[in-house]
Amino acid sequence: MSDATVTGVPDASPARRDIGIKKRYAAERRFKAYGITAIAIGILFLIALLWSVFSKGYTAFWQTEIHVPITFSEQVLGTPQQAAESQTKLMMANYPQLAREGLVQLLGIDPDDKAAVSAASALISSGVRVQLRDIVLNDLSVIGQTQDVWLFGSSELDSALKGQYDLTVPENRRPISDLQLQYIDKLKSMGALEQRFNWGLFTFGASSRAETAGVGVAIIGSLYMMLIVLALALPIGVAASIYLEEFAPKNKFTDLIEVNINNLAAVPSIVFGLLGLAVFINWFGLPRSAALVGGLVLTLMTLPTIIIATRAALRAVPPSIRWAALGLGASKTQTVFQHVLPLAAPGILTGTIIGLAQALGETAPLLLIGMVAFVADYPASPMDPATALPVQIYMWANEAERAFVERTSGAIIILLGFLALMNLTAIFLRRRFERRW
Amino acid sequence: MQMENIQATLNKGPAVQAAKPTKMRSENVTVHYGAKQALNGINLDVPERQVTALIGPSGCGKSTYLRCLNRMNDTIDGCKVGGKITLDNEDIYDPSIDVVELRARVGMVFQKPNPFPKSIFENVAYGPKIHGLARNKNELDEIVHRSLERAGLLKEVKDRLDEPGTGLSGGQQQRLCIARAIAVSPEVILMDEPCSALDPIATATVEELIDELRENFTIVIVTHSMQQAARVSQVTAMFHLGDLAEVGPTEKMFSNPDDKRTQDYITGRFG
Repeated sequence: MSDATVTGVPDASPARRDIGIKKRYAAERRFKAYGITAIAIGILFLIALLWSVFSKGYTAFWQTEIHVPITFSEQVLGTPQQAAESQTKLMMANYPQLAREGLVQLLGIDPDDKAAVSAASALISSGVRVQLRDIVLNDLSVIGQTQDVWLFGSSELDSALKGQYDLTVPENRRPISDLQLQYIDKLKSMGALEQRFNWGLFTFGASSRAETAGVGVAIIGSLYMMLIVLALALPIGVAASIYLEEFAPKNKFTDLIEVNINNLAAVPSIVFGLLGLAVFINWFGLPRSAALVGGLVLTLMTLPTIIIATRAALRAVPPSIRWAALGLGASKTQTVFQHVLPLAAPGILTGTIIGLAQALGETAPLLLIGMVAFVADYPASPMDPATALPVQIYMWANEAERAFVERTSGAIIILLGFLALMNLTAIFLRRRFERRW
Repeated sequence: MQMENIQATLNKGPAVQAAKPTKMRSENVTVHYGAKQALNGINLDVPERQVTALIGPSGCGKSTYLRCLNRMNDTIDGCKVGGKITLDNEDIYDPSIDVVELRARVGMVFQKPNPFPKSIFENVAYGPKIHGLARNKNELDEIVHRSLERAGLLKEVKDRLDEPGTGLSGGQQQRLCIARAIAVSPEVILMDEPCSALDPIATATVEELIDELRENFTIVIVTHSMQQAARVSQVTAMFHLGDLAEVGPTEKMFSNPDDKRTQDYITGRFG
């Protein structure tokens, strides 16, 4: 063999054939350029999206408040003795009157000038009813006293101060009058106006007034649903994958199941919503708008994602690990649970978190099971009516008021924040538990 | 490849002469992968406390045969084993035989070192743990140390037993796998090309180890290296296209084979 090679070598080096080296390099450069262009377009769109959301939404995290000395007069609230006996009067009292009187006095307006008084009181949110009531109910001793309170400004005041109104148009065509603008300037010069951090955006429930609307109920609803999805989809999905991947015989029937699971992942989510409506609400009789039903529907939706991720993670464990354990006399179950599953865990966790993130952002199926609801009170259990973050965004996006536009973007920022947090957790877990072999 | 070279490497140990009792006997063993027949009726006796080498060109069925001996073929879908294999005159494919118990008696070392991604200690301790061989921590320690000692690894790793087994060099990993296999005190150890992924120095170490292990264990080794078969084994079986071409004492196989196919293979005419 080696002899033949030696004699086979010709004396002169052969002339190189033209194999188009220049063309090959050009093709490679072209392909790289296409790739870079594609990525650049993607990044451009991402930046445009984030810019649009953040530039519109960041103002939602600040809320204009007015510093007003409030006299908790006994005429309006009744005496402390009466209040201690029965809270009915306190619940029903005319709190906006207290706020109005305080502001009128602060601005030095003649209380008989009806037009001026109503213009000034329009600067205060009608949410002060709850705000002042809570102050009184917390501490009955304020009755008869005067206290400085930061009152919510109305959404018109807020929008005007954030420069969201075009003040060049004629007075009768804009939501804020010249007189009100004068008052705003006066309050500003007195230092009684301030943009304060809008904690309410995180804690309040649904409200028709932008300044007292928040995603509190939606966050709790989403949290309940995520917990339900995690508690149901993770064990069911992992168990199903382990059985299919490690124990099930490979035959037509398991092939059919596999094809169906893969197809299930591609089913439009609204179909799952219809299924939830038909099965969980109409058949099982579970309550409408409840986080429990939402969680069950999202579980069905997340299962295929978790199963596919788990099977991929199990398949990625080298078979030599299984042989090693089996060869030592470990049973199939011992092999799977003591060796394969721990090695697949990072992949399973990543898949689960990505499935959860998908479920967190899902809107369509929740619309069908009645989670588009006006829920002002925190749901005490998953059986109570609740909304979800994306549904809240959807509802706010339908509101016409200027202040809801920024709140829509604000809620999107909050949702994106949660999604980013979950994805970071997935990356962290993968890095932390990844093992090499 | 020259005949003289192989003869020079022959293991001329004292064990060659005395005929040993049969540990595992195969009678007319056939294996089908689906419709394809991989083994056509193998009759082979594996002698006790000897090294039996299985040689032959790729795809001849020697690894398939090896995997029949501890029923690792059970894990392959569509694999059917026929005929009869006995271990100490017990049929290992009998329904009354527990495959887990069988694999505790017939251990296996694989082609590529495959330590668990756990500590060195855990690697060796895993077998004794699942088979309940140690009653307490001290006994387990004792078993782990003895197994590593017998695998010739203890000196190199005794200060880092809690480091991952995957951090060792290739040769050390393979010896760790051997230590792991002998920790459950098997009677037979099957080795599927244990040195094919190792460099010559690591190979020499493992070969020495195999020679020492022969005192206590029955060893069946699949190898592609004729020199290795000549160096470590006392009995050699030549497989060809699913048939057992020839079996005999290693010395005879490499100096004066009866079968033309063996002759051609060991002189490098094919394979």
